[in-house]
Formats: sequence, structure tokens, C-alpha cells
Amino acid sequence: MLDQIIRDYREAVFDTDGEGAVAVAENALNNGIAAEDIVFKVVIPVIEEMMAVINRDPDANLAQHFMTAQIAATVTEKMLVHFRQPPASQGKVVIGTSAGDLHSLGKRIVMGCLKSLMIEVVDLGVNVTPERFVDAAVEHDAQVIAISSMMIHTARGENGSLAVRRLLQERGLESRVKLVVGGAPYRFDPELYRTVGADAWAEDGITAGRVIQDLIRAVTRP
Amino acid sequence: MTPLQRLIAAVKGEPADRIPIFCNLLDQGAQELGMSLEHYYSNGEHVAEGQLRMRERYGHDNVWSLFYVGKEAELFGCRKILFASDGPPNVAQFVIQDYDDIEKLEVPVDVAAHPAFLETAKCLAILRREVGGKVPICAYLTGSMTFPALLMGMDRWMELLLTGPADLRELLLAKCSEFFRREIAAYRAAGADVLLYSNPFGCTYFVGRKRFREQSLPWMERDLAEGGVDGVVYYCGMSPFANIVGEVIDRLKIGAYYFGPDDDIAEAKAIVADRGLTCGVINDIKMLSWSEQQVRDEVRRIIGAGKGSGRFLFGTGVMPYAIPEANIRAMLDEAYRLGRWE
Repeated sequence: MLDQIIRDYREAVFDTDGEGAVAVAENALNNGIAAEDIVFKVVIPVIEEMMAVINRDPDANLAQHFMTAQIAATVTEKMLVHFRQPPASQGKVVIGTSAGDLHSLGKRIVMGCLKSLMIEVVDLGVNVTPERFVDAAVEHDAQVIAISSMMIHTARGENGSLAVRRLLQERGLESRVKLVVGGAPYRFDPELYRTVGADAWAEDGITAGRVIQDLIRAVTRP
Repeated sequence: MTPLQRLIAAVKGEPADRIPIFCNLLDQGAQELGMSLEHYYSNGEHVAEGQLRMRERYGHDNVWSLFYVGKEAELFGCRKILFASDGPPNVAQFVIQDYDDIEKLEVPVDVAAHPAFLETAKCLAILRREVGGKVPICAYLTGSMTFPALLMGMDRWMELLLTGPADLRELLLAKCSEFFRREIAAYRAAGADVLLYSNPFGCTYFVGRKRFREQSLPWMERDLAEGGVDGVVYYCGMSPFANIVGEVIDRLKIGAYYFGPDDDIAEAKAIVADRGLTCGVINDIKMLSWSEQQVRDEVRRIIGAGKGSGRFLFGTGVMPYAIPEANIRAMLDEAYRLGRWE
């Protein structure tokens, strides 16, 4: 039965059919499948499969990324209320757009993807100062700071990732907080993340889920 | 030969001294005039003066009437723009806050008379007086499928487009398309020669092929139906679109295509062929870090791939403020040299 559910859910996600995906998950729940199984055996494997497919598929597009993340986040949220006990967090991320940048699409895709992977997300919104990124990471004990920038001056500027890196150094936080960046300028220059002092970058919102997962695993806790 | 004659020759595939070279230096005008970007963009005289001085300094083949992309949102009532000291401004207040606002949204009846267009009109008048008929005067217009992102934010537009109520989506697109038709008429009347039709949703980097065919193409047809495609240049915000350009040519009959830096220019040129002007565009984000030699190599690669027997233009994106002047000069020197026809 679970195999059929996985097939139906995968088909809905690949067709970016949000309502269909929710219906598959809710039907499974009504048929006695545990919400935990739906998330860990259906939702997460399918989004991981989508990450791999999107990475390989030259025709993958922004709309597909957006819908994939939204569907995964919606279904996960609906299932979480039925969990017997709160799920163990897979890690924590603070996320926002760099200072001076008000573009939130990329951030929203990443957040949807992370939520479905059971990674806790603290959304700082748009136009976030470097101090706020670092303070929030400390306050929430996050392993990763994720900064989205759509414009080259907000990606490279003195109030973006470069300043966050400097603050992490000054406060001795580099071993416990990793820095990931993403957004259009990084696609046009894949080496730019090094220039701005980040530990990693992600080409798109869905790939960001995997990159952040890897960074969380790599963090040495004090 | 004037830059405008050079451009017309390239479009028609006729002989010229060299290929046209477009260099889009917008924010640099403020630096040239020694003022902040916010002050610079507050007055059309500044922008015109900045454009004329940039062209005088570098000798490229175009000037712009574009201030910043968010200026179009001001025509719909946006009153808050977030300025920066080192890059283009952002729209900081979205006119559409919730779906109810879509029905209330009023399309400006007379774009040319709109207070938010006055500085643009002033800039165009100066450019027309100083270089009209000699240098192509460019204008930037956002297509109806993309315009809602300026009014409600890209993520909320994506949500409405993909999952929202179809009637509201169509209503918003109809209003944006109506606005586009009025706006392009206003720019033409004010003297713009080159009308950059910016529409990232007109490529499959943003939406899948099915949605591109079922929504993007029909809306683009509506945008352009009334005023025609004279002077229109197809552009997808630096995203690649060679994979669908054949369909765009067949349906829209636009005469010029401003490709993304990731497009294979030889492939794009082969598809466009003698049906239009192919524009090969350099990755100007990388120009921030490239050496002068790397810039020259890239110019050589692009012109080598596209120049062929003509109908080719070399261009840039919106050049970042921080590109070293030496790299701008290296790019243009190489383009002027390699773009020459013997």
C-alpha cells in the first residue's frame, strides 16, 4: 500500500499538482497510515528525488522549484499535527535576504524545502542586517545562516555576507555556524561565494536544501 | 556612420563599418556627475546628462532612458523605493497587498501625462534633442507576464500564477497588458527607438514549456498586437532562451533578440538566422573579477560565435556599478576591434 502511495504522491509532485499531493497524503492518513510514515517514507524521499532530478534536468524551471517546495511544506505541515510526538529536529537555520535586498522568492523556495526536511527555519524576512543574522543564529542556536541576494551589490556589498563572515570570526563562531548564500549573482559567477566569504552556495532553492543539510552535518558543536 | 545607421544596417543585414555595440551603463552616470544614486535618479536631466557623458567617454552605440526597473511600478502608485549607494534601487512598497487590490488596480489612462513619467519624458526630450536620429535611444518595458512581480513581489505573483484564482490572475494580466500597450505607445511618442521588451516569464528558465506556450506566448501577443513590433527587442532578464526563440519568432515576429550570457550564441544565431538581429551578451557579473585579458577573451569568444555574416550586435547586461573602468575599456576596445567589417 505504501508503494502505491509513494507512486501517487511522486506523480502529483512531478506534475506540480499541489491539491493532488495533499489529497494523496490525507487519503493515506484516513486509511490508517501513520503521519510519521507519510512524512519520512513518502514526502522526504520524494523531495530528495526531486532534488536529484532538478539538478540533472536542463528543463527544470523556477515555477517547478517553487511548487515542489510549497507542496512539500504544505503536506509536511498538515501531517505534523498528527504526529504522536514532535519530530526530532534535523537542525536549525536562520534565513533572510541581505541588507538592501527585498527579493523573497528564493528564500521562500528554500524555506519550503527545509521545512519538509524537518530542518527548523527562523525566517528573518528581507533587508536583514549582518548583526541581526549573527545575533539570531546565536539566540536560536542555529547551525547555518542562509543569505539570499538577488542583486550583485547586495551579494558583494559590505553589508552582506562579507560582514556576516567578519562577525562570525570576531565572535569566534565559525566552527559552530556555517554560512551559505544563494541568488542570481551566484549563478552568473559560481566562484562568487568564495569572494563573499561563504562556506557554500546553492544554485537554486531546491539544491539549497541538500547543501544546508550537508552543512548542518559538518558543524562541530562546542 | 552614426550608431543608429549602424544598428539599422545590422537589423537589415546591410553593410556597415562594424557591428553595433551596446554598453548599458546606468548607475555609472551618478558617479560621473558626482551625486548619490537617489539624487541622480530624482531628475531626468541628470539621467540624460549621465547617459550622454558615458557615451562621450566610451563611444558605444546606445543611450538609455531607463532610470531603474522599479520606476514602472511608480506609474501604478508605488511611492516607496529603497535606494542604495552602490547599486540599483528596489521596489519597497507593493501596490498589491492582497487579492482585493487587483480589482481596485487602476491602469494609468495617459502614461505620458502621468506625474511618475515626467522625469522620464524630460530625459527622453534631452536625449532626443542631443543625439536623436544619430544614437539609438533605448527604453525598458516589462511584459505583462512579468509586470505583476513589480506590483506584488515575485513570490506572491508566482503563487497567484501557479495556484491562485484563475479569474484574478487573468484580470491582473489583462490590466498589465493594457498598461504595456499604453506605455510602449508613450515611449514611442517620446522618441525611444529601441524598446527592450523585458519578460523573464518568456523563457523556460522561469516556467515550463507548457505554461510558456499556453500563457506566456498568448499574453506577449496581446502586449504587442496593437503597437506592433517595430524597434522591439526580446529580452528575458539575462536568462537563456535560445531553446524557444524559434517559437517566439514564428509567433511574434520580433526583429531582435537579446540573449542571456549562458546562451550558446552560435546556436542562437543559427536559429534566428536572417529572421532578426542576434545580440550576444557578455556576463558582466564576471567582469567584476575578471582580468582585462579574461574580458578580452570573452569578447572574442562571443563575437567569434555570432558575428558571421552580420545581423549581430554585441551587448552587456546592466553593468554593475563596481566593474573596474579598465575592464569596461578592455571590453569595448576589443569589441570595436573585432566587430569591424573589413
